[in-house]
Amino acid sequence: MGKPKAKVDKMKCLACGGCISVCPQDALSMYGGRAFVEDEKCISCAICIRICPIGAVSGEVY
Amino acid sequence: MKYDVVIVGAGPAGSVTGRFAAEAGAKVLIVERRQEIGVPVLCGEGISRKIDDWGMLEGKKWIASTMDGARIYSPDGTMVTLSAELAGNETGYVVHRDIFDQELARQAAKAGVKIMLNTTATELLKDKDKIKGVKAKHFDEEFEIEADIVVGADGVESRIGKWAGINTTLKPEDLETCCQYTLTNIDCKDAYCDFYLGKKIAPGGYIWVFPKGKDAANVGIGILASLSESGMAKKLLDDFISKDPRLKNGAPLRFLAGAVPVANPVETVRDNLLLIGDAARQVDPITGGGLTHCLEGGKIAGETIGKAIESQDFSKEMLFEYETRWKEAFGKKIKRNYMVKEILLDMEDKTLNMLADSLKDFKFEEISTLGLIKALVLKHPTLLMKLRPLMKVTKET
Repeated sequence: MGKPKAKVDKMKCLACGGCISVCPQDALSMYGGRAFVEDEKCISCAICIRICPIGAVSGEVY
Repeated sequence: MKYDVVIVGAGPAGSVTGRFAAEAGAKVLIVERRQEIGVPVLCGEGISRKIDDWGMLEGKKWIASTMDGARIYSPDGTMVTLSAELAGNETGYVVHRDIFDQELARQAAKAGVKIMLNTTATELLKDKDKIKGVKAKHFDEEFEIEADIVVGADGVESRIGKWAGINTTLKPEDLETCCQYTLTNIDCKDAYCDFYLGKKIAPGGYIWVFPKGKDAANVGIGILASLSESGMAKKLLDDFISKDPRLKNGAPLRFLAGAVPVANPVETVRDNLLLIGDAARQVDPITGGGLTHCLEGGKIAGETIGKAIESQDFSKEMLFEYETRWKEAFGKKIKRNYMVKEILLDMEDKTLNMLADSLKDFKFEEISTLGLIKALVLKHPTLLMKLRPLMKVTKET
């Protein structure tokens, strides 16, 4: 089983862009007015999970 | 599509840059990924009244309240007051950011700028290494926009800089993660902006209450991302509101999340490209304020672009005039306040209480972070040791 990768809850995300600005892999972008993770780029560092002000990003094992 | 300039982002930085570039003769297009300029609002909505001197906004619809001063509350509740009346200078406005942004866009349109909404820039358009514009997507339609100059005004989440090889990735210790309510049914007894400090209240940041009229306020929190856990900003803000007698019966009209860079200045120019606003990290690292920088920097950027178009020289050297001028205008202040931010972060709550106690009856000469820093140095010469590198910078500004 791999490490958990970041996943954005589309129902919660308010598109502040914070997670995109800190992602060291440029794995996040704004898509359809919500943050979106390209999971092949995600290295499971969890920075985006910790910094989300409203808890809209969590880890999911694929 | 061929333009002189394509600007990505129709926030204040993009609109002001577009306006001044167009007034200098450039053919300008602004692309905006959102469906409405200024919405959602991602901001505490405070701005200094020095913008009055710049005459960039018409009318008064964008003003929610005119402030009489500010109060800072230390962790134990000791209050430091910065009163406009006592200082003899003006403080600021709390604005309606949606109307504010739309007024700036209107001014840009009046100058001849074209605006496209629902349009996302997906990558830079390049000929070998030379930047020739952007690729964009408008609903399902994908197309190329050719331009001699690309302006990245694409906010905190900017990727334009990264695509051009500028490292704009923020470290968590250089980001404030925020959320805010517009609360109504509260009693704003006076027109003061309130700031609440403390490790338990808002680690590495503050909670703000900015009145918008007599019965509403923008109430928000920013915490340092390196001290954050998932969902912590919202939890701390909800907790504060539920315990505050003035706010606990308030009703929310709006809830928003935000992210604010509190970093050192970055490089902002490349051949055929420049960055501005939050994308260029042009934010005061102490207050998190960036609106005045967008207006001031946007004018400089627009004027520099005008010269570049006139001489048909779009090189980094030509565009560097923008970087030199904005660093002179407010980049040094950002650098100085970044150092102050690091000193403040090292302080324990009891130190903040002590400092607040010593300043509670102080008569401030100016209502600004510099005014506060000057007062601290005056009251606590021993702090000078830590602040020595800082004061060297202060003298230059």
